[in-house]
Amino acid sequence: MKLPLSWMRDFVSVDAPVEEISRRLSYAGLVVENVEKLTPGFAGVFAARVLNVEKHPNADRLNLCDVDAGQKGQFKVVCGAPNVKAGMMAPLALVGAQLGKQPPLEAAIIRGVRSEGMLCSERELGLSQEQAGILALGADAPLGGDVAAYLHLDDTVLDVEITPNRGDCLSVLGLAREVAALFAARLRAPRLRAAHSAGSPDGARFTVSVSIDAPDLCPRYAALAMTGIKIGPSPAWLKRRLELCGMRALNNVVDATNYVMLELGQPLHAFDFGKIAGGKIIVRRAGDTREFVTLDNLSRTLDPNDLLIADGDKPLAIAGVMGGLNSEVGDCTGTILLESAYFEPMTIARTARRLGLRSEASYRFERGVDRAGQVGALIRAAELIRRIARGREASPIADFEPRKAEPREIALDLGAMESLLGAAIPPTVARSRLKSLGAQVSTRAKGVLAVVPPSFRSDLAEQADLIEEVARLGGLEDIPALLPERVNPLAPVNREREFLKGTREVMLGCGLTEAATIAFIAPADNARFSGIQAATRPVKVTNPLSAELSELRVSLMPGLVTALRFNLNREARAFHAFEMGKTFRMDGDAATEHHHLAAVSYGAYALWAIGEHSVAAGFFSIKGILETYLEAIGISSRVAFKALESADAPFLHPGRSAIVTLDDAPIGLIGELHPAEAMRLDLNDPCAVYELDLSGLIAYGFSPRKTFQPPPKYPAIRRDLALVLDRNFPADMVVKAIRECGASLLESVEVFDVYEGTAVAAGKKSVALACRYRAKDRTLTDEEVNRIHTVLIEQARMRLGAELRQ
Amino acid sequence: MMREQLEEIRRRAMAELADDAGEAQIDAVRVRVLGRSGELTEIMRGMREVPNAERPAIGQLINQIKGEVEARIETLSEKLKAAALSKSLNEKRLDVTLPGMRIARGHLHPITDILEKMLQIFESMGFEVAMTQDIEDDFHNFAALNFTPHHPARDMQDTFYLEGGMLLRTHTSNGQIRVMEKRRPPLAVVCPGRCYRRDDLTVRSSPMFTQIEGFMVDKRGRITMAHLKGVLTEFARAFFGTTAVRFRASYFPFTEPSAELDMHCILCDGAGCPVCKHSGWTEVLGCGMIHPNVMRAVQYDPDEYQGFAFGMGVERTGLLKLGVDDMRLFFENDLRFLSQFPALSGGVR
Repeated sequence: MKLPLSWMRDFVSVDAPVEEISRRLSYAGLVVENVEKLTPGFAGVFAARVLNVEKHPNADRLNLCDVDAGQKGQFKVVCGAPNVKAGMMAPLALVGAQLGKQPPLEAAIIRGVRSEGMLCSERELGLSQEQAGILALGADAPLGGDVAAYLHLDDTVLDVEITPNRGDCLSVLGLAREVAALFAARLRAPRLRAAHSAGSPDGARFTVSVSIDAPDLCPRYAALAMTGIKIGPSPAWLKRRLELCGMRALNNVVDATNYVMLELGQPLHAFDFGKIAGGKIIVRRAGDTREFVTLDNLSRTLDPNDLLIADGDKPLAIAGVMGGLNSEVGDCTGTILLESAYFEPMTIARTARRLGLRSEASYRFERGVDRAGQVGALIRAAELIRRIARGREASPIADFEPRKAEPREIALDLGAMESLLGAAIPPTVARSRLKSLGAQVSTRAKGVLAVVPPSFRSDLAEQADLIEEVARLGGLEDIPALLPERVNPLAPVNREREFLKGTREVMLGCGLTEAATIAFIAPADNARFSGIQAATRPVKVTNPLSAELSELRVSLMPGLVTALRFNLNREARAFHAFEMGKTFRMDGDAATEHHHLAAVSYGAYALWAIGEHSVAAGFFSIKGILETYLEAIGISSRVAFKALESADAPFLHPGRSAIVTLDDAPIGLIGELHPAEAMRLDLNDPCAVYELDLSGLIAYGFSPRKTFQPPPKYPAIRRDLALVLDRNFPADMVVKAIRECGASLLESVEVFDVYEGTAVAAGKKSVALACRYRAKDRTLTDEEVNRIHTVLIEQARMRLGAELRQ
Repeated sequence: MMREQLEEIRRRAMAELADDAGEAQIDAVRVRVLGRSGELTEIMRGMREVPNAERPAIGQLINQIKGEVEARIETLSEKLKAAALSKSLNEKRLDVTLPGMRIARGHLHPITDILEKMLQIFESMGFEVAMTQDIEDDFHNFAALNFTPHHPARDMQDTFYLEGGMLLRTHTSNGQIRVMEKRRPPLAVVCPGRCYRRDDLTVRSSPMFTQIEGFMVDKRGRITMAHLKGVLTEFARAFFGTTAVRFRASYFPFTEPSAELDMHCILCDGAGCPVCKHSGWTEVLGCGMIHPNVMRAVQYDPDEYQGFAFGMGVERTGLLKLGVDDMRLFFENDLRFLSQFPALSGGVR
């Protein structure tokens, strides 16, 4: 809301500098976002009445005018404007006047006649580019008064951010009331009493009948007919005020309604009375009416519940949102019907939102206008229209209120206020703050006030609201800053957070940098990186920002490879990153979310030193990271890696990828990107990735081992063996088979080498294993171990159908 | 006679064992003088011919010479060893200014870094952390937080809706409802998490961002607005290192009274600059006393319980703290940006 201080001063006098006004408003919840100080582009220009116009003796197109500038005197002025005429008020620049950057005005001899000043156009005053004629000032311009002051050119405009609860502050009067309350100044609210409704000059009287068929949506509707209207431009001062508030001037009637809306906060609408069939207004739901053409000449599709203003034949306006083309006030309109109503905020909000129509009027109705302000606004508008459009009231004010506002009396317990705020505010202070806002305050009981909020504060519904008002008007500065007692001696530990934190630590320790990517992705990316579970159905966003962001990610992978590409495009040669974040999928009809951990590793990894060759990222480097993690959280023994069927994850290299299982249930994928995928991303080297669903692991927690054993007392003895197997036989099956032989005293079995080459047959490989034997109670002898190991070799060979490599 | 012979052996040995004697020369002397068939051994063998009376003196002299030569050889050998070591040390000298062999360690994402710092401050003040859901229903994101169905405040945050009728939470305030629904006061909880609003990714905005919601609830009078001020003032001091803060009345549907916390603009320290629109202040977070309707929504009696709540944007606050002015940096994952952040979480400032 733009607040010109000159307009505010119509209602309150405050001496404080504008900075202090801004500060207090801001502290009280009405943030002043900008202060614009305006200065007029001229000086020494006064309002003058043109007394007499006669032809210039020596020039056809010039006139010689006598003008009266009140106390400044009378002057003879040469004027070339076609619109100059006797009786009009116009701006007169006297000798010495400063117009823009021009040198001071001098008396001039024009075609042999001395001109003692100049009647000015808008352009000459720097107001606009308009130069067709001199600026006509309103009849109310003060004779000899400073034009800059009259036009409010010397002004300061505050741009105040109004929170949605403060509809009452969407008006100059509302903000003036706040300023008055904050500075303990008196508010001079306009006195609005109906003038005697004497009918139109020609004696015609109109009756206005209103029927409210939807009192639930429109509890009050007031209207007034005015006739004798002469449509034309508004006076300059009024246009100026509208413009300062960010509205465009249109014609005197529309401008008057807008002016009153800005001043009092009550939106008004003017209909061309002649276009209302039978002079009858019906406030009703749209029902079967499906289409309506609004003022902007667009056809709008209506919802049966939209509220319409109609006559007996047709709709005239979408209530509170926009008027109709069929009853618009035009240049020939002579009689108007002014509407001033209270519409329920919800209905206006719904309709305006659905139609995408946000007007100054709907904005105010949505936030709730003064529940009792309808008639006052009509009176104010009628007064203005009389002044600037020659209108006369042609009917009594029709005021229908099928649903009365319920009087609200709220008890304010001062003890409760103190215990909510943690500060004792003296009762007299509380009382006067509430009164300054327009509330009626009385004492209900000891320490309890009875407060009736003013009709324009529908946001004050219960005690907490009143407490806020009292605190707010003190700028919250009455309240000290204290530390509360702890609610727990020790705050409970959140396992999920600790788990995620620990996971992050392991990833950082493995050399991966943490990335964060946006959860919205393109359907193509969801199709390409289909997530851990095959046939995952992605979650669609109903109202996406764009088609490229129309689904929620089922996998963190697309974001990570995008980040990889982003970095490779910017000088990076390696990229090792992980992300922990939520992924989303449809489970039946329900959208569900899942904590995932994913990593991408590309380029030189792990060690970096001058002259040393570093490891290149690949399947085993990233598997090592994942194994480190699984060991850290203590579940390695329950996890297995199984070669993937290529259909399960088409984005992975079919021979270099695996599914990760926990107790045989899939929890993740690991592998190198499929060469086709790598080519699409323009990658030259292998790109290793994994993704893990953490949901199940979080429940398990981050607690590796519960019991511990002392280190062994006696040494181990190692015996190796090498088995020749089919090339595709998995190593973990070899280890498993050897373990299953159940050799006594066998402590561990580990693969330490794999060989393929000329020394073994084609399609075969040799797997070298280290077996460690240990007894708890003695040092083993070679003979004892050899005996066990020989049996083991024989059994393993048979179980695996393998040959022993010599 | 034998005495002169011995003196000659001594003189010659000592002359050959000069300061610059090499290893070979020292060995030669050792063998010639002290060896099994060395000069001194030969003389010992001739002792039979020495008169009894002279024997002790000659024997003493032999031992004396032997000791002297041995000692001299020892000294020279030590010296030679020291010289050799010193030579080898010099040869193995490194350029210690070259970079070390690096074991990679990743970097924390700045959002995590900031979030962790924030959470640690609140944890140290006795708040527990609760993790809540991103996919939310209308009740927990809006209705229970006192947003009426067409409340204009819903305009302040344009919501993403999902197929199936759910929505993505627009703030972490849903955490307040989720926790209060399940538990009874006293509560002191912070809920971090991602939030979503229909804004494009620009310098100032992102469709996904991070917030922390915090709240404290207890019996009436135990948690007051003064405590809200105290906790958040303490937070600002710990996190930003400033006490230049102010509370300004504001409006949120779910708090009453509502306030915003401003602090002195980091760039101009309150003097006024374009970033703070010449006000000298920047907005840090929104807060207030939990609205009675919110209490009712979670079946708390508002006459019995009261408390405060606050919410802050992590990226926004991070921008203030880091002096970075582009939201997109947080989601581009440019290593040249990320690698400036620590590799260890934790530790306030």
